[in-house]
Amino acid sequence: MNNETVTPVLEVKHLKKVFGQNEVLKDINEQVSNGQVICLIGPSGAGKSTFLRCLNMLDQPTSGEVLFEGQDLTKLDDKRLDKTRENMGMVFQSFNLFPHKTVIENIKLAPVKVKGEDDATATATAEKLLKQVGLENKADAFPASLSGGQQQRVAIARALAMNPKVMLFDEPTSALDPEMVGEVLKVMQDLASEGMTMVVVTHEMGFARNVADKVWFMADGYIQESAEPKTFFEHPETDRAKDFLAKILEA
Amino acid sequence: MKKFAKWLFLVVTIVVTLGVTGNMNTKADSNTPATDQYLSKVKAKGELVVGTSPDFPPYEFTKNINGKSKVVGMDMEISKKVAHDMGVKLVIRRMDFDSLLVALQTGKVDMVIAGMSKTPKRAKSVDFSNVYYKAGEDLVIKKSDLKTIKSYKSLAGKAIGAQTGSIQYNLVKNQATKSTLKGMDKDTDLILALQTNKIDAIALDQPTAEAYAKNTSGLVAINAHFKDEGEQGSAIAFPKGAQSLVNSANKSIAEIKSKNLIHKQYLPNAGKYLATGKSKSAKAANSMWAYKDFFIAGVGYTLMISAVSVVIGFLLGTLLALMRLSKNKIANGISVSYIEFVRGTPLMVQILFIYFGLGLVVNIPALLSGIIAVSLNSGAYVAEVIRSGISSIAVGQTEASRSLGLSRSMTMRFIILPQAMKNIWPALGNEFVSLIKESSIVSIIGVKDLIYQSRIVQADTYRGVMPLLITMILYFIMTFGLSRLMKFFEGRMTHE
Ligand SMILES: Nc1ncnc2c1ncn2[C@@H]1O[C@H](COP(=O)(O)OP(=O)(O)OP(=O)(O)O)[C@@H](O)[C@H]1O
Ligand SMILES: [Mg+2]
Repeated sequence: MNNETVTPVLEVKHLKKVFGQNEVLKDINEQVSNGQVICLIGPSGAGKSTFLRCLNMLDQPTSGEVLFEGQDLTKLDDKRLDKTRENMGMVFQSFNLFPHKTVIENIKLAPVKVKGEDDATATATAEKLLKQVGLENKADAFPASLSGGQQQRVAIARALAMNPKVMLFDEPTSALDPEMVGEVLKVMQDLASEGMTMVVVTHEMGFARNVADKVWFMADGYIQESAEPKTFFEHPETDRAKDFLAKILEA
Repeated sequence: MKKFAKWLFLVVTIVVTLGVTGNMNTKADSNTPATDQYLSKVKAKGELVVGTSPDFPPYEFTKNINGKSKVVGMDMEISKKVAHDMGVKLVIRRMDFDSLLVALQTGKVDMVIAGMSKTPKRAKSVDFSNVYYKAGEDLVIKKSDLKTIKSYKSLAGKAIGAQTGSIQYNLVKNQATKSTLKGMDKDTDLILALQTNKIDAIALDQPTAEAYAKNTSGLVAINAHFKDEGEQGSAIAFPKGAQSLVNSANKSIAEIKSKNLIHKQYLPNAGKYLATGKSKSAKAANSMWAYKDFFIAGVGYTLMISAVSVVIGFLLGTLLALMRLSKNKIANGISVSYIEFVRGTPLMVQILFIYFGLGLVVNIPALLSGIIAVSLNSGAYVAEVIRSGISSIAVGQTEASRSLGLSRSMTMRFIILPQAMKNIWPALGNEFVSLIKESSIVSIIGVKDLIYQSRIVQADTYRGVMPLLITMILYFIMTFGLSRLMKFFEGRMTHE
């Protein structure tokens, strides 16, 4: 067996994160292999966002290891960490587009400034990505003039422009009006079917059921269950998960 | 913070000790033959720099001669003679009476002549020439009070004004114990205070009192009848140890006395300048329009000082703000200490410290000192403006930027600062406006800003209120115009 193919893209070992007295993540041990789509679900305040931010080291873990392609990120200096982050795109609940830059400038900024791409190449990539998310006519608009769904699609395109190996999504549809959720999920679904490795924090159970390869259920500082969506949704093992699903379905 | 304070204290102590011991080394009494370098230094640079406070007619006062304000009077004629006898050019520096001796000690001027009485206290810090003139003390009062006020004793329960630090000030303090004493820096302010009934009399030395009385309608001078406290009369002050200069000046004074030049020539000449203040042509010259160049120059200096300071303050403030926001504990500590210290001390003291304190180490001209002090001060305030501008940008912006692989500094440059600037610009405009007003304090070290010029016009014209009114209006035009301009640009920015 070839050893390289089994090296997971992402792996966390004994990950622990404490804010003051608050032990948010207690002991997390999971792997994400190439092309996999993970949906991370769990009650509010469980530490899902914190976990995601530990994956690209926006938050420094208190202890444990975060391995990206076998390399422990907790041991890297700032410079190499910046370099690694290029390979991990992140999409936020509140979009976080740069309001002082146009849509296409938002997308081109990192490729030009970080990777040193020339303007023409960056522009071509940006245009291609805008087409992919269905916003080719909004290149010169400012973020403030776009709807939430459109802003989130630009944010996805902006992350993709760095050609990342993993995409991290933190509740990408939670801040959207219901009628715009679909357009963003569609873009994400396309991305998944193209083979992108993704970790998605979401409350969209439909998306988790249909698109995820695996569902992680997080509560009380641990990943309580890690299972195929079908198994998880139909036969949750823990009481915590049963409770959670019951509440979600009620709503 | 504590560390910084300690450090600063150390520096001040060293600076002061250096200055003091420097003076002590060359201590000398009046009969010592000169062994010092002062005279040869003056001769080498070819000029004698004289400090004076020209609001003390007939000793020294200013006169608008062909649109230029010149210092004239008895003391200036004596200075001319002293400089002439040394074979050098005379250069006159104007400043507040209170700053004169400090300027002498810190080497800003070579000698001070300002109708200054030779007192034992002063003689501790400077060396005096022989006395060149001694006059009695008068009170300037309103003509209408002539019947009731006969001497300082008639002023029990009333207010007497005197120039702070002057001999008359001490006489009033010691003898007129039943009166309230009002000290002011400028004689012209005292006259104004008398005219507007803030005080009931001004204690001045006799020739000065007579000069003011003669040139201000409604005022008269009477003998104050102070007891003699052993005053020695006016003498010229030199730095401690400048025996060579003292000797040279004493020779000139001896000649002046033997030829009776003061009474024959100097006082009558001064009187002529003063007298023109009443003639018809002089009235025209006293109209404010004749002084427009003074006001224009003042506005120019004030705008220049504020503009340069706001630019330097912005650069310094940006640096301080970044240091304050940085994770580096040392940079953060320096920045916090600096900001707290500068914001916790008065601008006036900072200006005096830069001019006189640093002046002991390097000689910085007044204008430059003023700009440096105001810039350093502004930097601390701008730093807080910039810091709050930066802090107002949502953390999501930083997170998005870092997640794309931008480093901390790139994030600051491309994402945070450009957005923060939109909040910072208007605040910077406000800072500019307040600098225009606050920079007026540089006039205390003789920078020729608008306040300084209005002082000159006041002294020149013997008119107290009009120059102040014009100055006020000019300040208002500057600040109002500027804030309108800022509004206009702000409007355009939000349109973008
Ligand atoms: N920077 C921080 N400092 C202190 N506490 C924090 C910080 N960030 C998160 N927390 C705490 O950590 C816990 C988990 O927060 P987190 O945002 O990761 O939860 P979540 O699962 O994403 O919740 P939600 O579904 O509401 O987004 C919460 O109790 C929160 O208050
Ligand atoms: Mg969250």
